[in-house]
Amino acid sequence: MTEFAIEAKQLVKKFPARAGTGDKKAEGESSAPKKRVWPFQKKEPKALFTAVNGVDLQIERGEIFGLLGPNGAGKSTTIRMLCTLLEPTSGTAQVNGFDTVKQANDVRRSLGTVLAGERSIYWKLSGRENLEYFAALYHIPQAVAKKRVDELIERMELKDRANELVEKYSTGMRQRIAISKALLARPPILLLDEPTLGLDPQAARNLRELIAQLKQEGHTILLTTHYMEEADQLSDRIGIIDTGKVIALDTPEGLKRRIDQKEIIRLELTGWHDDLADKLKSISGVENLTTHQQGEADLWEVNLQAQNSRAALPRIVEHISGNGTRLVNMNIVKPSLEDVFIHLTGKALRD
Amino acid sequence: MSSELSVKSLAVPGFFSDVQAFWAVVRREWVIFIRYPSWIIALFIWPVIFPMGYILTARALSGIDGSGLTTFQNTTGLNEYVGYIAVGTMIWMWQNIVLWAVGYSLRNEQMRGTLESNWLSPTWRFSYLLGSSIPQLVSMLMLMLVSGLEYAFLFRVHFNGSLWLTLLVILAAIPSVYGIGFAFASLVITLKEANAFVFLVRGIVMIFCGITYPLAILPNWMQTIAQWLPQTYIIHGVRTAALSTEGFSAIAFDLNMLALFGIFWLAVGYFLFNMMERRARQTGAIGQY
Repeated sequence: MTEFAIEAKQLVKKFPARAGTGDKKAEGESSAPKKRVWPFQKKEPKALFTAVNGVDLQIERGEIFGLLGPNGAGKSTTIRMLCTLLEPTSGTAQVNGFDTVKQANDVRRSLGTVLAGERSIYWKLSGRENLEYFAALYHIPQAVAKKRVDELIERMELKDRANELVEKYSTGMRQRIAISKALLARPPILLLDEPTLGLDPQAARNLRELIAQLKQEGHTILLTTHYMEEADQLSDRIGIIDTGKVIALDTPEGLKRRIDQKEIIRLELTGWHDDLADKLKSISGVENLTTHQQGEADLWEVNLQAQNSRAALPRIVEHISGNGTRLVNMNIVKPSLEDVFIHLTGKALRD
Repeated sequence: MSSELSVKSLAVPGFFSDVQAFWAVVRREWVIFIRYPSWIIALFIWPVIFPMGYILTARALSGIDGSGLTTFQNTTGLNEYVGYIAVGTMIWMWQNIVLWAVGYSLRNEQMRGTLESNWLSPTWRFSYLLGSSIPQLVSMLMLMLVSGLEYAFLFRVHFNGSLWLTLLVILAAIPSVYGIGFAFASLVITLKEANAFVFLVRGIVMIFCGITYPLAILPNWMQTIAQWLPQTYIIHGVRTAALSTEGFSAIAFDLNMLALFGIFWLAVGYFLFNMMERRARQTGAIGQY
């Protein structure tokens, strides 16, 4: 049995491509118009889209591993392969020592999974009925299940509302039932896909505390999230995935050290226009410019990474003066995980 | 970092755990079914309304005094034309409801978002389809019972046959009716939308199986096709068992055919389900809405 809780070796997943979304052809491959294919004539292979392209992961027992990536980077496909919903096109994965294809049921028994959050439970059943139902699906004997359901309802502070229909719950309460469902069989490994998505700040904070407690109790946790602070706060190690590949894997501190020598210049502007981006990028030593409009007002946050902010600042200020652009605020900040992400992928996580 | 696992799974895998999981699916489906009781209206009204058009047409053609019924009696050996139509339409309704309810059961779960969370558990996956069919079967038997009572009291239908033989034919019909439903459910998950197929299948049953007329009036080629449809034998068997006094020997052939069709359609349903399940793991179809 592998020493790792989760181990993936060169995982690849390809899907049939929709029109215009297939992988780019290698140089020299023909792009001539398709020939007519007669019945029984051997057809050309379908175009494929590579969602995951050789992912290697080794997640140790008892750690919280954060998997970060922008939409479409391949993190959900990776998670779905690990929890047996998808078979890899090539490569292998083991969860708790079991092969995800050949020993799929053993993998399912080893995992507690939160996918699709509040939509993963029955809204027309009560919270308690949901948990009793899933306890049976996870093969927990009835007497044990009853105690375990009570225990989880108590822990999630849902005792007063446990017998109400889930459709009357708030998003946070539904998410707590979804997490309780994942914890029912007390599985050694938890896969949490965007567990705090849609939660209010208090509910999200409570959930982060719960995740930290679960680690203390010995669970291995694979967490995907869009929230950098969350990944930074919770994860022992972080893998950054982009275009189907793990492009960086380290502790949060290790990742931040990679751009320690750089400084982040954060500007707040009104009157932003796209020509400015080209001008700012042309300044020597400035790279990885990202912009983000704040609310509906004409207020923009512009982040730049610079080798030497003192040298770059006068030229930045010079470029943004005039033409209706006004500098509202400016800071030089320590690199965050988000900046690491931008440095590595060239885009913000929300892209 | 590396630590020994301190968490121990509470799961106890085995045959009885799978049986418990199957009953949990049945219970879940039943609780949701009875919690939203709009079906009660359908239970009482639909069996009366649906055959009414056919019955009134038959009445118009046979005359108010029934003088035109001789041909019908000569062809079918029965004089209870209302019961004849009621049984035919009931079997059609049964197959139709199974196509919608069982055929779309997994698809409905998929659209709700719960199919994936079921699929993530170590339970035998056919349990989800089989388990959700049981409450549907119970509700269908209730519909048949209510229909029988309504026909007897509202339309004065004389069910001269045997209740037990009628139940025996219905029992023999279950594997083929639900086998077709299972096959359909797998098709729906793969294609996402299969309304056109429902209309096609129920149209075929309506035309070829003689829900309101004897097969003898059909051209030979249509009668040949009818022989390959289990609903033909269900309708004939239930009519014979419920409306005539001919006894077991008159339905023995129907029962044999239904047993064969039952094995065939259950096997097709199970095969297509496994094929869909395998394909879904390759394409990710389970999580796609």
